[in-house]
Amino acid sequence: MSLQIILNGIATGSVYALIATGFALIFNVLKFSNFSHGATMTACAFISYFLVADKGLGLFPTLLAAGAAGAVVALFGEFVGFRRILKNHSSATYFFVSSITLGTLYEGLVTIRVGSNFFNFPSFFNKPTIGIGSLVISTTDVMMFIISVAVLLVLAFVIQNTRLGRALRAVSFDRDTAQLMGINSTRMIQSAFVISGVLAGIAGVFLGIKYTLYPSLGSLVVKGFIASVIGGLGSLPGAIAGAFLLGILETVLLSLLGSGYSTIATFAVMLLFLLIRPQGIAGSNVQEKA
Amino acid sequence: MSALVSNILTQVFITLIAVAGVYVLTGLTGMFSLGQAAFMAIGAYASGLLVVRLHMNFALAVVLSVLMAVAVGYLIGYPVVRLRRDYISLVTLGFGEAIGALLNRMTFLTGGASGLTGVPRRVGLPLACISAVAAIGLVAFFKTSKYGRQCIALRGDELAAKAMGINVIRVKMTAFLLSVALTAYSGALYVFYMSYVDPTGFGWKKSADWVIMVFFGGVNSLTGSTLGAFILSALPQMLRGLQNYRYVVYAVLVLLILNFKPSGLLGEWELTPGNVKRSIGRLTEGRRRKEEK
Repeated sequence: MSLQIILNGIATGSVYALIATGFALIFNVLKFSNFSHGATMTACAFISYFLVADKGLGLFPTLLAAGAAGAVVALFGEFVGFRRILKNHSSATYFFVSSITLGTLYEGLVTIRVGSNFFNFPSFFNKPTIGIGSLVISTTDVMMFIISVAVLLVLAFVIQNTRLGRALRAVSFDRDTAQLMGINSTRMIQSAFVISGVLAGIAGVFLGIKYTLYPSLGSLVVKGFIASVIGGLGSLPGAIAGAFLLGILETVLLSLLGSGYSTIATFAVMLLFLLIRPQGIAGSNVQEKA
Repeated sequence: MSALVSNILTQVFITLIAVAGVYVLTGLTGMFSLGQAAFMAIGAYASGLLVVRLHMNFALAVVLSVLMAVAVGYLIGYPVVRLRRDYISLVTLGFGEAIGALLNRMTFLTGGASGLTGVPRRVGLPLACISAVAAIGLVAFFKTSKYGRQCIALRGDELAAKAMGINVIRVKMTAFLLSVALTAYSGALYVFYMSYVDPTGFGWKKSADWVIMVFFGGVNSLTGSTLGAFILSALPQMLRGLQNYRYVVYAVLVLLILNFKPSGLLGEWELTPGNVKRSIGRLTEGRRRKEEK
């Protein structure tokens, strides 16, 4: 097992971490699994591809556009799919269906626009690889890692140290009490969606660079789900730890077993994890309230 | 009956069996499986392979494939039914993707991406129709049985159900395995009708499709779910040219229903003799009142 594989794994893990935190954030606030996250990633990646990357602008404008698109798409989703359900205090199952439906809607819209074709992001760097001693790392991987970590650090700072972050945590702890304390919980839920949308947009672009761009790209969101199950549902640090673990594990398995079997092996690892430590790495299992 | 209509009906009936399974899981128990289509794939591939490679009897192969899917379902379900309900969706979603990758990879057995061919055609409209009626009958029976009522109880409030002495873990497992069995059976019928199966089309989108069908008709009503599945699976077959728009139209319909009539088209109404009589009674009474005016 060479250092090379581990490095590749860490780069993959950093993208998974973006997906997993975006998902975990919504889970944290609304206590349901947002299955539209994957399709949001696809939609944003395509929007930024057509608006920005296609015109030969660099990586950063593309990421900015994807993030902005993610914010808009997520806000739209919150308004169309979740606002009324939240207001009516309907059961959590409706959130599920709503998110699944939104996912199909986004993916359907993307399919109408592009068919089932594959698209390639233009190569953003002049030098495709960076050599450090005997190690060869692709420039994309390095940038992916640096940008993801930067985004995650900003997110951590926002959640831990700002008024917005504190309000978000209060709302995720208890919506009604937070509302009584003068926090506008609808606004907070909207901001959670915006943040998660931005994360989805950035992750979508990275996935598109890594494995071409196609309408069902969003199904890669399952990696983020597995990461947050391993890390502990709803825990942000857990999701990040789980994502890096999954990234490394997957690259190692990939080099040992090849593509098809490694997917099954990763899945088996997740099942084992659920049997042995269902609360995940972080150990903060969200219990169903009575 | 023209060949086209019979083709559409057969496919709709095969879908109905799977949706009956999803109704047990989602409608009755409140669990969402986003890897349900993978069990259909298991049923299809297992039964097809048993017949093509081992020249096994058709009926025996179908039974064996359903048992196999149930065994796999038990493995998946064992850790999951003990946890909160989100886990079953996440885990089955991962399972579905894994099965898809595996079917593509095991070329020597499954034919890989080009699919499994040469399965004899053993299923026609009559068998599909009888199977669908039997499956729906079975689910209706399950719903009114002790287990069905326990499922409904734990859907509302798991903790309260537990406090009432319901073995929540066992009931959830029973519902999950019943739905897996029905889905696998529909997969077996599918392969012996199409005489061909390939790994595409068993992803999460199909599973999501089924959930949407259940909710479209009414999540609390088996009649509604069946009706929803019938409408939503027959429509795209008729409007083939609009294939790409299909998912968008579905999604918009369901979003409208979720926002404005969350209980679905039929709500809780079931097609039972008593309910029909009551509805007819209401209709005739209304007319009589009008005449009196």
